[in-house]
Amino acid sequence: MDHILSLLVFFPAMAGLLGFLVAKESIKVYGISVSAIEFFLSIILWIGFDGSNAGYQFVEYYPFIPSYGMSYYLGVDGISLFLVILSTFITMIAFIALSIKDEIKNLIISVLFLEMTMVGVFLILDVIWFYAFWELSLVPMLYIIGAWGSAQRLYAAIKFFLYTFAGSVLMLVGILYIAFLYHDATGIWSFALPDWYRLQMPFDTQLLLFGAFFLAFAIKVPMFPFHTWLPYAHGQAPTIGSIILAAVLLKMGSYGFVRFSLPLFPDASVYFLYPIAIISIIMVIYAAMVAYAQEDMKQVIAYSSISHMGIVVLGTFAMNAEGITGSIFLMLSHGIVSGALFMLVGVIYDRRHTKLMRDFGGLATVMPGFATVYGIMLMASVGLPLTIGFVGEFLSLAGFYKVNWIMTLLAGSGIILGAVYMLTLYKKSFFGEVTHEDNKTLKDLNAKELTALIPLVALVVILGVYPKPILTTIDMSVKKMLVLLEKKAIDPHTSEFIINVNRIGGTK
Amino acid sequence: MEKFVYIALFAPLLSSLLVALFAARPKILFTGILASALIGVSMIASFVLLVDVNAHGALHVKMMDWIDAGNLHIPFGFVVDQVSVIMMVTVTLVSTIVHIYSIGYMDHDKSFNRFFSYLSAFVFSMMILVMSDNFVGLFIGWEGVGLCSWLLIGFWYHKHSASWAANEAFIMNRIADLGMLMGLFLIYWQVGSFQYDIVFAAVKSMDVAIVTTIGIFLFIGAMGKSAQFPLHTWLADAMEGPTPVSALIHAATMVTAGVYLVIRCGELYTLIPHIGFAIASLGAFVAVFAASMALVNNDLKRIIAYSTLSQLGYMFVAAGLGAYWIALFHLMTHAFFKSLLFLGAGNVMHAMHDELNIKKMGGLYGSMKATAILMSVASVALAGIYPFAGFFSKDKILEVAFNHGAYYLWFALFIGAGMTAFYSFRLVMLVFFGEKEYTKYGIHPHEAQPFVIYALMPLGLLAIIAGFFEHSFEGFVTRLLSHYEVHLSHGTEWALIAGTSAIAISGIVFAIYKYSRGGFSKSLENRACYKLLINQYFIPKLYAMYIMQPFTVLSRFLWQRIDVRIVDFTVDLIAKVIYATGQNTRKMQSGNLSDMLRWMIVGMVALLALAIFFRPMV
Amino acid sequence: MITLTHYLVLVGILFSIGLVGVMRRTNLLMLFFSTEILLNAVNVGFVAVSNYYGDLSGQMFAFFIIAVAASEVAVGLGLLILWYKRNGSIDLNSLQSMKG
Repeated sequence: MDHILSLLVFFPAMAGLLGFLVAKESIKVYGISVSAIEFFLSIILWIGFDGSNAGYQFVEYYPFIPSYGMSYYLGVDGISLFLVILSTFITMIAFIALSIKDEIKNLIISVLFLEMTMVGVFLILDVIWFYAFWELSLVPMLYIIGAWGSAQRLYAAIKFFLYTFAGSVLMLVGILYIAFLYHDATGIWSFALPDWYRLQMPFDTQLLLFGAFFLAFAIKVPMFPFHTWLPYAHGQAPTIGSIILAAVLLKMGSYGFVRFSLPLFPDASVYFLYPIAIISIIMVIYAAMVAYAQEDMKQVIAYSSISHMGIVVLGTFAMNAEGITGSIFLMLSHGIVSGALFMLVGVIYDRRHTKLMRDFGGLATVMPGFATVYGIMLMASVGLPLTIGFVGEFLSLAGFYKVNWIMTLLAGSGIILGAVYMLTLYKKSFFGEVTHEDNKTLKDLNAKELTALIPLVALVVILGVYPKPILTTIDMSVKKMLVLLEKKAIDPHTSEFIINVNRIGGTK
Repeated sequence: MEKFVYIALFAPLLSSLLVALFAARPKILFTGILASALIGVSMIASFVLLVDVNAHGALHVKMMDWIDAGNLHIPFGFVVDQVSVIMMVTVTLVSTIVHIYSIGYMDHDKSFNRFFSYLSAFVFSMMILVMSDNFVGLFIGWEGVGLCSWLLIGFWYHKHSASWAANEAFIMNRIADLGMLMGLFLIYWQVGSFQYDIVFAAVKSMDVAIVTTIGIFLFIGAMGKSAQFPLHTWLADAMEGPTPVSALIHAATMVTAGVYLVIRCGELYTLIPHIGFAIASLGAFVAVFAASMALVNNDLKRIIAYSTLSQLGYMFVAAGLGAYWIALFHLMTHAFFKSLLFLGAGNVMHAMHDELNIKKMGGLYGSMKATAILMSVASVALAGIYPFAGFFSKDKILEVAFNHGAYYLWFALFIGAGMTAFYSFRLVMLVFFGEKEYTKYGIHPHEAQPFVIYALMPLGLLAIIAGFFEHSFEGFVTRLLSHYEVHLSHGTEWALIAGTSAIAISGIVFAIYKYSRGGFSKSLENRACYKLLINQYFIPKLYAMYIMQPFTVLSRFLWQRIDVRIVDFTVDLIAKVIYATGQNTRKMQSGNLSDMLRWMIVGMVALLALAIFFRPMV
Repeated sequence: MITLTHYLVLVGILFSIGLVGVMRRTNLLMLFFSTEILLNAVNVGFVAVSNYYGDLSGQMFAFFIIAVAASEVAVGLGLLILWYKRNGSIDLNSLQSMKG
């Protein structure tokens, strides 16, 4: 168990390299096996994880460039644990559902490398390595969209790459500047995040640095108005790309807010709370309305992701345990639900080679199993209680209520608008008479698709009914972080604010 | 006793899941019987609990923890007290009958099994709603019944109108649910808990302004579920669903959830009588408003739906004025006779081959005596004639309004009672008596299967006798709910009863008199007020024109203009500017030595200028 | 009395002439002349300033420049003749094979 984190990070990439030697016929089985082993490794990690310890566990620390304080530093806590499991799980499920035939070997190897970067981003505690993984994740994705996408794939892939890449450049400057500040304050170089957590920065510096990190995270999340790469990327990406993009890559942005923005710059986070909340509300409402106007089923889900991520960001900036725990849970639930929804769109796209809603109608008659699974995921997406979607949304909104009730009301309109666009989508595609000849002979879900979807459905229900084991683990680390925030803030108002939003009573 | 709680709660879930296994198969009679039996089991367990609560008081069980984050702890906990056990008994009783009835009603439907799965799921959600011991648990049930309502209204999903109505119902309820969620958040941040007992203990020492806010938010939630104005349009459209659904969900149980919420939060609402009065005023308005729409409508089910709306208004008047037990009592009696009315209407629909226009019926008494009698009984009960159930409960509500000194409300309800009697008997007359219009359409009506009629008998019986349990009911539920003192003299009370009965009877007599002579003249249909009523005060059209259409247009606008033309255009513009800069500066590399020399000089001059003007300050 | 200022003005004028020549001339030979003028303008400047300060290093630098410029011209002219033999023109506009 000593090196399980290193194993988790590098096993997929190593296996991916070996994958070049595997015969083309058996590469899919190979991919599924590798991702399954990786998934079980992450489950072993969870089993070995001490739920009563809020700090970093399974820590691995080796100096990398000691003269500049760079190290190879891995660790996992309640915040990152489930995101790692989500990454490995979604990769495995996406492999099972994979239906692409050409150049499949390269695709599988790309996805395995992508898995390394995803797991790396969530596990690494050295900021330079974090930046490396963060940027590296773009490369396989660029390749996946650009090589296996639809007609406009090159445009979408380049847009995705350049947009997200441009965003993170400022983050690199920010990283170097913090290292410089740390050196100034302590006399030693360090890029270790836990060291940086102890660094108190002057208020003005915090504002600047917050801005530098914000752009990178905001583009990744994606926050309005930096979201326009997402519809293209989803619209053009192959199903497996969309699944991983929506389920995991977007979470890297919101994870960044939790891991970096809040604990590094508590005062700036509180200072920028309202502007960010307003952007989040715009995201929720605007993206929901745009989703309603879409004609392409996949675009609806792409925009719905933006809408849901708005609630995630809102919950994060609620600055209380309810909100942050809720937002992390919502990341997980959105990962599962949006992954499943993209997979379902992929199922119908494989059969009909169209994603336009007007080409469907009456699917519930010809594909009852598909309609049922879709219905369950739809209900999870609109946040019906006892599905996974409710818990995170409820907690995030509840958390932010303490900060500002009117904003919560506005953001809450997402649950109405979510129902509007999702039910409209469902009505257009699944209800009514079967009008198109081609749709009359559609086959229901096959064994492969069921194998991929049933675990997702099961998770949606199980974690909706019993989210407690996950919530308590997250909550522990979140509470620890909040204590840090409150102690670290240089402005007494910030500490006061954080204590206040975590206290019961005295709300209007 | 704990195990009975679980049996009552989970038997419907078990039924739903078991039947769901066969959902895609063609009709299997067994699924219907199994579902009915399991709901029956739940009913028996509920009755056992009723007896037990009567003898030993409330029962509280905690099944497991659900959500744990920050200071928030929400368990799955259930409380069986006087109020919830009454709801449980009402729900399971009506559900069992509706299940049995559906075996007959859905006989020829190809999705027979699926129907029972949904119906049982609904019962489960409703049981969670009424049994939960905390607000979030209630919210689970609240959304659960919304989901089942969506599934069941849109049961015949190939019909455009059905799926549209289903979506409308779900979305309208969501609007209200947001209000309720806000109320829950406020409760949480005030109290730190969602448990009823803790919350109600805490509200007493809370600032009135905050209690008022909580009260308003929760009532917004109730307005959606109970289809109060202005969120009422979905209920009439929900009649697209199969008739047993209308009977169970949109008459007897789900729509009364809002009333249940207000009753459950009685301790909260007694602290804020002004909000209570506002609720009562809205209720009285809806009572008349909905009844007026029922007067002219020709759709068999819609008439009954408006009637439900109107009766919900009555319940809110009672609940708003603090007469919680009376609201609950009317809720219960209404459940019996209204579901009976709907199920009878279902028989008529079957007989008429799904024809809903009552103008095309008439004279059905001859071929369907049992249904006619049952529906007449239900109508009499609805009209509130002694000794039928509606008399006891509705009269009490009028008495409450009068006692409260809210004479306007009383007068509205009084007029409403007359309208209720009129439209009920207009329906009975047009459907069962008079000319046999249906012969023109070549329909040969037949009575429903005997077991369906037998299934309705208990409801018929209850519609007649439920009123006589008034005093034992009062004694039972007021152990939990507050008493309601009536300060009227006996003379006034009798005068009120006489007045209400008089207007109800005159409504009935007028309807019988008018429709036995061929009804009103056609010229009436050109009057403005008729147009207003038949078009439901143009509210659905207003919603379509001023909410749905602008929303669609705005969404399109946001997508095509803002998102594509502005936001994305800006991003692409930046990329294009960079690209164009590259394209243009490429010309510098002309390969011509003298061009390069010139650029060199430009660069030199620029550097010199920099060196001169931006010297570091020494 | 001829002061340093006069020398520097002369340097400026010479340098400008050379600069204009570098920018305007397209004949490679003329370009060499212009470059020479530039270099010699700088040489005059060095010598004048060195005289003014009484510091010989300026004059030494001027000699270096003269020497380097002479060798540069020798190599340059050689290449130029080669180019002329091959292409028949020493016009700058014909030398564009590295166009980007």
